[in-house]
Amino acid sequence: MDLLAQVLINGVLLGGLYAVMALGLALVWGVLNIVNLAHGAFIMLGAYLAWHLYTYLGIDPFLGLPLTAIVMFCVGYMLQRGLLNLVVRAPMFNTLLITFGLEVVLTYLAQLAFSADFRTINPPYAGNSIALGPLVVPLARLMAFGVAVVLTVGVWLFLLHTKLGRAIRATAQNLVAARLYGVEPRHLYAVTFGIGIGLAGAAGCLYGTVSQINPYIGATLTAKCFAISIIGGLDNPLGVLVGGLVLGVIESLTVLYIGATFGDVASFGVLVLVLIVRPSGLLGKTA
Amino acid sequence: MSAILEVEHVTRRFAGLVAVSDISFKLGQGEILGVIGPNGAGKTTLVSLISGTLRPTAGDIVFEGSRITRLGAYRRARLGIGRTFQIMRPFPGLSVLDNVAVGALFGHTAESDLAKAREKARAQLDFVGLGKFAAQRAEELGGPNRKRLELAKALAMQPKVLLCDEVMAGLNLVEIDEVIEVLRKIRESGISILVIEHVIKAIKQLSDRLLVLHHGDKIADGPPDTVLANSTVIEAYLGRRRP
Amino acid sequence: MTALRLGFVIVVAAVLAALPLFGSDVIIQFGINALLLAVLAQSWNIIGGYTGYASFGNSVFYGLGSYGVAIAMVQWNLPFAVGMIFGVALAVVFAFLLGVPVLRLKGHYFAIATLGLAQVMSAIVSNVSVAGQNIGLVLPPLNNDRLFYELSLVLLIVATLTVFWLTRSRFGFGLIAIRENEEGAAVMGVNTTLYKVLAFALSGAITALAGGIHAYWITFLDPDSAFDISLNVKMIIMAVFGGPGTVFGPVLGAFVLSAISEILSSKVTNVAGLFFGVVVVAAVVLMPRGVADVVRQFRKSGWRYFAENLKAHRI
Repeated sequence: MDLLAQVLINGVLLGGLYAVMALGLALVWGVLNIVNLAHGAFIMLGAYLAWHLYTYLGIDPFLGLPLTAIVMFCVGYMLQRGLLNLVVRAPMFNTLLITFGLEVVLTYLAQLAFSADFRTINPPYAGNSIALGPLVVPLARLMAFGVAVVLTVGVWLFLLHTKLGRAIRATAQNLVAARLYGVEPRHLYAVTFGIGIGLAGAAGCLYGTVSQINPYIGATLTAKCFAISIIGGLDNPLGVLVGGLVLGVIESLTVLYIGATFGDVASFGVLVLVLIVRPSGLLGKTA
Repeated sequence: MSAILEVEHVTRRFAGLVAVSDISFKLGQGEILGVIGPNGAGKTTLVSLISGTLRPTAGDIVFEGSRITRLGAYRRARLGIGRTFQIMRPFPGLSVLDNVAVGALFGHTAESDLAKAREKARAQLDFVGLGKFAAQRAEELGGPNRKRLELAKALAMQPKVLLCDEVMAGLNLVEIDEVIEVLRKIRESGISILVIEHVIKAIKQLSDRLLVLHHGDKIADGPPDTVLANSTVIEAYLGRRRP
Repeated sequence: MTALRLGFVIVVAAVLAALPLFGSDVIIQFGINALLLAVLAQSWNIIGGYTGYASFGNSVFYGLGSYGVAIAMVQWNLPFAVGMIFGVALAVVFAFLLGVPVLRLKGHYFAIATLGLAQVMSAIVSNVSVAGQNIGLVLPPLNNDRLFYELSLVLLIVATLTVFWLTRSRFGFGLIAIRENEEGAAVMGVNTTLYKVLAFALSGAITALAGGIHAYWITFLDPDSAFDISLNVKMIIMAVFGGPGTVFGPVLGAFVLSAISEILSSKVTNVAGLFFGVVVVAAVVLMPRGVADVVRQFRKSGWRYFAENLKAHRI
């Protein structure tokens, strides 16, 4: 019983992190209709940024998170403005391909700049944990979870209660709706993509504190983000949070009860099942 | 006149909203039946229910004496039900000729040979007056010609029943007269037609019988003159449009 | 014109067939890889280019074909040809069982569902004992690269003839109608569900054959390499780079991109992948309908062609 409870705790903590990872992907997908295959690579870049800030400047990854997010926002803004705005209205294949090309470029640039070695961010409190009776809650994971929830709720409030957020939501329904809010669509697209990439950067910081990083982690992370967005639906950040938690818990339970090699079967099996049964996501509106 | 198509107590709901409510009528062999009604009356839903792109929540659809309620759209097409779409569904990247050839390849008299299908398609294009556009891509056609293309695609299937969903919307008076002429010729060739239209004058000229829908209910069914003089119809439909 | 083109194609095929007579071992090996990739791009073209369903699950067919041959030869001591048939049977069964539910999904959702299937299959095979679990299988070696080369070439010709048949058959017109407008196709009498599943199975069968040849040639396979998603991405890129929905585009794309990455990786080893990514990004922006379209349109509009593409889809 304790084992089960411990696995559930681990799953929930992991799920929070998953949610932030997928949040940017779901936002860009829902609003711009671009499935960003490079999303995982941006998470990877964010993680490296946090690693450099910590290793060379001694900035704690949680304190470095806002800085990383802002830098990544700018990268995303410029990419959309300079490149992706050229293809937003192209057929689906083309947007998939261009983001795949970006993924390749980012991965190789990272390999050239940072080498293929594994890195870890090890702040002094990395090994600490909180004991809850027989259960153990790792501190870094708990903090990452907390930040994840705050970010998700923050994005939700931003989309609901600011003018820019409402313009972004309107754009999800209709590509040129931004004009109704007095926002230039090209700028709005770039801001949306920037937020997506900024969130990927933030997720990278958190990922770096709980896991090892190397230039090749991007593709797997992108695939996980898909699964989470699909389970949660694209309509609402809180859906993504639920999607992340569901996937985190399912993965942890599968590894415990069926075996470590089935972790991916579970997550992608759930993905396929959800798609077949409810294409708009577990919490999405019915089509 | 024997009925080729019978709609029996058909109802269709969308998430609580009743789009078509307990509607029954018959389409006679060789008849032109006009269906009118204000926006949201359920006209397009009715066509979709007959052509099979939607399934009724309740009721039955009978074609040539057999129940087709459970058949998929493609099976109904092969039995001889052709339709046009109000929001047109051309194959944008294909040539105008090949758009129509698809109808000949898969419709009621499915032609398995591509060259022969193209021959039939060319005849239909000439019939609706699109002959000289045959080689163009469908996406390059202008509005009125797209309407004609919809008609040619459905005709190439050599259907027994043709369902026309607003083929005259957006056309000018001359073009409307041309379409009326084309529809009359189609009927002379033995095809029964159900026409949905907003243009009252045109549908009055064209139809043998008129059916009026309002909020999913059938409120009138009879000869055009009688129906258009009916006070319920005037109130529900005409009165609303010209207050 | 068509006679000229037919002659040209026959000459190219003859030159390719004669290549092993005077080519070096390195060239033949490069040739086998390029031909098999062209087969993959061409068979993806059936479901992706002609039917309009962006399958990320074709690597499953490739893996099933590879494992069909490997299991038949290693575990059951059957000949290679029987293994190929077994692999194709696995692929077709998979296409029918999972095609029906998955092909109901549209656009990105179909792409992602098939991607998920590919991941699941890889993990499932890692746990099947007849498939050697996650260790894999070692096939009996056959040192005859010329044979593998000619086999791959024959398969590519079969795949290309299949696609050519699509462009002038009722079946192919049904698929194109589905791609262009699925509801419109259904009301004109196209049995959309059946056609989509058949296209998926046809694409899968050819892909499985390529997987089978590759497995016997490489003589070793494990789940990670047999169900490699990046292989699926490669076939899509090659097909789209060359021109999806055209007869020769995917073959052209596969040859050109194989050559580019071969040259890059021999000249500038560590940045080859980087260049590959840049080529893909530039190709999407400048020639979104593939090389085949450039060849067709360039004579008409010259360099303006690229400028028009730049303007076509931007906001």
